[in-house]
Amino acid sequence: MTEEKKNTNAWQVALQQLDEIAKRINLEPWIHKKLRRPKRELTVSIPIKMDDGSVEVFTGYRVQHNITLGPAKGGIRYSPDVTLDEIRALAMLMTWKCAVAGIPYGGAKGGVICDPEKLSLGELERLTRRYTSEIIIMIGPEKDIPAPDINTNSQIMAWIMDTYSINKGYSVPGVVTGKPVVIGGSEGRQEATGRGVTFITLNTLKYLNQGIEDRKVVIQGFGKVGSVTAKLLHLEGAKIIGIGEIYGAIYNPKGLNPLEVDKYRRETGSILGYKDSEDITNKELLELNCDILIPAATEGQITEKNAPNIKARVLIEAANGPTTPSADKILESKGIFVVPDILTNAGGVIVSYFEWVQGIQGYFWSEREVNLKLRDIMDRAFHHVLELSLKEKVSMRTAALMLAVSRVAEATKIRGLYP
Amino acid sequence: MLKKIECIIQPFKLEDVKEALRKIAVDGMTVTEVKGCGKQRGYTQKYSPEAPIRLLPKVKMEIVTDEEKVEEIVQTIQSLARTNQIGAGKIFIIPVEDVMRVRTKERGRIAID
Repeated sequence: MTEEKKNTNAWQVALQQLDEIAKRINLEPWIHKKLRRPKRELTVSIPIKMDDGSVEVFTGYRVQHNITLGPAKGGIRYSPDVTLDEIRALAMLMTWKCAVAGIPYGGAKGGVICDPEKLSLGELERLTRRYTSEIIIMIGPEKDIPAPDINTNSQIMAWIMDTYSINKGYSVPGVVTGKPVVIGGSEGRQEATGRGVTFITLNTLKYLNQGIEDRKVVIQGFGKVGSVTAKLLHLEGAKIIGIGEIYGAIYNPKGLNPLEVDKYRRETGSILGYKDSEDITNKELLELNCDILIPAATEGQITEKNAPNIKARVLIEAANGPTTPSADKILESKGIFVVPDILTNAGGVIVSYFEWVQGIQGYFWSEREVNLKLRDIMDRAFHHVLELSLKEKVSMRTAALMLAVSRVAEATKIRGLYP
Repeated sequence: MLKKIECIIQPFKLEDVKEALRKIAVDGMTVTEVKGCGKQRGYTQKYSPEAPIRLLPKVKMEIVTDEEKVEEIVQTIQSLARTNQIGAGKIFIIPVEDVMRVRTKERGRIAID
């Protein structure tokens, strides 16, 4: 493997990150060794009858990285780019994310190599049901609880819940989260990640002794996370001066109204051409003169190329891995306050946790209750990471990982090694 | 989770308690002069079951704080408000669902920081 290829392999990057943290916290070698390997990995073949009568065989994975703190938790993605190494890396990331949030879960991830855009609804349903059956030996409310991820949604979660339940002979809502509310989904789950990002932003400003009123915010991504974040921050009094989506971005130094932008997008299919705004490129968007930059789209958006031009003082990572490691170093040297993804976007998994708890109890909460409890956990997680970062004089990213790895390590040590 | 610590103490203990709380970084509090009685119905000398209730002057102090600080604050108040006599007071710990800072509209924990 060439050096470059090795660096871009997500699993190698995740291992490298763990090794660095292990050194910092003096992780016991046996625990380090254990954490470097996923607990379980399953590769399955998924034969599906296509609409034209032919049979296609797809490949799917489910990886459980660690289950020391509780059942494994993590999304399932459908994408042509899925690889086992990517799933492993994301499973490890879930272990850390749950540990930072302080919720009783381990980490897992799943994926199917397929292009959902080329599948009919029927094919997608058969694929989901067969994949669920193939990984059924691994999942369950007390074992491993999947959730939506790239190209999977609440309908797919409903099919997983149904397939599992049919196999058991009774309804098991707690086997999967991100379900529609009518079959045991949680109020507030759709907005959870964006709401969590908003809480983190408010906490960050509080720490930096700045108010939210008229703060200039740029948000890249206007999907499930970005649009909710934009709306909530707008309602808090922030000035959303730039919004980006896949086709480009819009800019108005006087502030955009995200509620109106969302309406416009629903009418036209894109945010571009919105009144009172100027169309710009995503590259220009990231380099706008603003106070807070929130990448809420995909990974690898802030690189060593554009990092030197970023003018924001605060970077809130709503997307997974939006900053490359080399860009991260540049941002740090520029004194930009970066709140890492595993802390910022934990809102989704936290409300997934609530959904699982509600499903197991068979008692469902109001949206207000969900939101208050989410804020409570996010505020506390932010403060724990901030305290550690100030105490150890490390970045918020390093502090979050140190906190996560030490929590898992402590539990591992106290449980001991079997036999 | 946020909690409200509501305590009723002897008025002459207020200064000590207030200063001790400042030392453990409690900055916000609301103090009210109140009247009240406990089990003795306001009588400190002899037991008089037929007499009407007497309300004695007390001070009520209210502090909203994060759960993590509750024990420290409660211990501080207790250690300074004690008089070794009846009528020294009570400390109540009450869950707070939400808070809003009027000036900034901040909610929850950041509204009291």
